[in-house]
Amino acid sequence: MSSLEAIIRELGRAAARARGARYAVHALVAALAWVALVLVIARLTPFEGRALVAGIGIPIVLVVALLAWLIRRPTAAVLMRLADFRLGLKERLSTAWERRSESGPMDAIQLRDALRQASGTRLATAFPVRVNRGEASVVAVLAIFSLALALLPNPMDQVLAQRQADRLSQARAAKAVQAAQKKIADSPKPTPVDPQVQKLLQDAAAKIREADSPRKALESITPAEQQLQKLTDPGTPALSSSAQNLANALSATAVGKSAAQAISSSPAQGAQSVRDLASQLQSLSPKDRDELAKALAKAAQQAQNSQMRDSLNKASSSLKSGDTSAAAQSLNDVASQLDSLQQQENTDQAVASAINGLEAARQELAAQADRDATGQGAQANAGASASPGASPGAGASGNGNGNGTGTGNGTGTGTGTGTGTGTGGNGGTGGNGGTGSGTGSGSGVQSTERVYVPGQPVPGQSQNDPTPLGPGQDVPTSPYGQVIQAYQQAALDATDQSLIPGSERDLVRQYFSQLGEQSAAGPK
Amino acid sequence: MIAEEPRVDAAKVTELAKDLETELARLIVGQQALVRDTVIALIAGGHVLLEGVPGLGKTVLVRSLGHALSMSFSRIQFTPDLMPADIVGTNVIGDEAGRREFHYQPGPIFANLVLADEINRATPKTQSALLEAMQERTVTVGTQTRPLPSPFFVLATQNPIELEGTYPLPEAQLDRFFFKVLVPFPGEKDLLEIARRTTGESTPQLRAVADGDAILAAQRVAREVPIAEHVLLYAARLIGATHPDRTELDGVRRYVRWGASPRGLQTLVLAAKVRALLEGRYNVAFDDLSAVAQPALRHRIFLQFEAEADGMTADRLITDILEHTVKESARA
Repeated sequence: MSSLEAIIRELGRAAARARGARYAVHALVAALAWVALVLVIARLTPFEGRALVAGIGIPIVLVVALLAWLIRRPTAAVLMRLADFRLGLKERLSTAWERRSESGPMDAIQLRDALRQASGTRLATAFPVRVNRGEASVVAVLAIFSLALALLPNPMDQVLAQRQADRLSQARAAKAVQAAQKKIADSPKPTPVDPQVQKLLQDAAAKIREADSPRKALESITPAEQQLQKLTDPGTPALSSSAQNLANALSATAVGKSAAQAISSSPAQGAQSVRDLASQLQSLSPKDRDELAKALAKAAQQAQNSQMRDSLNKASSSLKSGDTSAAAQSLNDVASQLDSLQQQENTDQAVASAINGLEAARQELAAQADRDATGQGAQANAGASASPGASPGAGASGNGNGNGTGTGNGTGTGTGTGTGTGTGGNGGTGGNGGTGSGTGSGSGVQSTERVYVPGQPVPGQSQNDPTPLGPGQDVPTSPYGQVIQAYQQAALDATDQSLIPGSERDLVRQYFSQLGEQSAAGPK
Repeated sequence: MIAEEPRVDAAKVTELAKDLETELARLIVGQQALVRDTVIALIAGGHVLLEGVPGLGKTVLVRSLGHALSMSFSRIQFTPDLMPADIVGTNVIGDEAGRREFHYQPGPIFANLVLADEINRATPKTQSALLEAMQERTVTVGTQTRPLPSPFFVLATQNPIELEGTYPLPEAQLDRFFFKVLVPFPGEKDLLEIARRTTGESTPQLRAVADGDAILAAQRVAREVPIAEHVLLYAARLIGATHPDRTELDGVRRYVRWGASPRGLQTLVLAAKVRALLEGRYNVAFDDLSAVAQPALRHRIFLQFEAEADGMTADRLITDILEHTVKESARA
């Protein structure tokens, strides 16, 4: 019996070796097949982390092979049968093993016969360590194939690189939006719309980050800008202008000079100064009162804001009639409107910061989308790629009303009228940005092509941003027909300024007249 | 734990079989397979149906076996007018001590070795007289059942040609034959040797190498040869594969009307055990089953008419079955 067990042990070891070699080759085949499969897939579709996936497959296959090797160990009976079969022992060993606990009349002699026959053979040869030739060929073929796939250039690498660049670009864009968020949060002048602005920026950043591509990300910017724009008060420029006119008018008076300076400095300071002036009305001399009434009347006449105009008129008429208390009341109303103006300017400032952040994101994403379009064989569409306004527009100057000398600068990007904010001279706040205008340098627009330009500018939008997008790019656009008139007007206004050389003025006029002819010829 | 020693030395059975084969070979030229199968059937305790054209030595083989075994031998020539009583015996009136009374006169069946020559020439009634003798090893005449001598071994012959006026053996009777052995025509070399041996001055005289007791002992030993489960399973599969409703083989499905009976399985295993002993082995191997499958099964597989029309034989089907039946060790 012990001899039979010795035979089993020897057969078991030999079988384990043989199976180990066989499973190792199986695992090699499976691992190479996996690698080849991953590499083939990576050539058919962009496959990020293909090296990792291919690499992970190898230990998995090895573990599976090891488990299979452990689990599928043959039983002693099977070992005996295989040994009988392969060594030509005519079922001696398997019969002896099966009947090892029997005590039949012939079992002992059968066992002796089996042991004698087994001793005359090399049991290990029943389980030779050999590699199937076909399997070895498969390993070689797969290895060569995998190597070739790994070494030959993969067209999908470019796609992956572009994706990576897209992601980085989206991350940078989202970061720019977050920076705007932080800037608003850190602002020393909080406004009631700050939470809404923060929420809009947060959503926009999330959408940019989660978008599939820079183009998709771009689509989320304009709606956010439009929502931000809704948070601003459209009457602010009129009120601001009225306040500036008031400052101008008061600066010509002896008693109102300090108030004028305060208004020019900031509406809040101006409001306080106007209140101080109201409280001093009774102590003013008749001459000063008269002078002040005239100044107020002049300011009322120039005021674009109706409330401001009414208050100034009332103050002026009350002063003229000697009713200082009514005049003081009216000036206090003016001060309240200046407070309101301060509040609106703060809001506009916050909105402008937010939009600036979004614009920075837009610039980043647009640049990346432009690179993507170029990389994806934009040459095929070269004839249609040029677009009006696609290139940075000609610089346009804006007029700002800042204490007489304040000048707001805005740079038109060819996208229509924009409102820029800038710090004016003499400590005054920058006025409204001038009307920007720009012309696209692209050409080759097909006669049947419907031309779109980027959407309406918003307050605070930087006017010197280049607009690299053109037709076919998925960015929010406005119909050409709706904006061309504004462009033309802005451009012609700009030519009237001395900054534009005379030779260039004719060129601009000629350009727009040609556009007009094309528009008349058919819809764009 | 070592099993107890066998009651009979198995090696002696091997030796007996070899002696017997050697002795028969002195008279039977060639035909080693025929002799081997006959010896296997003898040691297994089965009967043999020999089929071959006249003059191939069938009768000589049986007669030689009788000489070599030192056992009683009788020959029955089956003819159409042979009656059952001519085989099993009958009651005859005798005069004993002045009294006339019936007493039983045993027929030629009462012998250790019985040659039923041209068995298919007798009528079915007479053929069936052998049924009880072959299966039960007893003979019933009138109301009395008498045991036949032991060992009892029937070797029947039949001629595959000249079938006119013959009565093919019914399936039930065919199944009672342990082996059906085909006697082939000898090759040229064997023919020369036959001519030399039988046309000279003297023919070889056989010596007895065993007696009935030795054969009976050998039969007991043969049954003690162990067979492993997976080998037994293979034997069962072989039998199952002969049945058209239990096989995947197209040939069997198409040509076989009825497959081998469980008696066929018994025959297969027992014959394999004897063959293992004759090979000097003490266990049954797959090869043993394969070697005895043709004689053990060819008369137990009943073919459709279509098989005859297509020239398909039971032997070819058995070869096909052997090739396609799965052995467990090969699959493990």
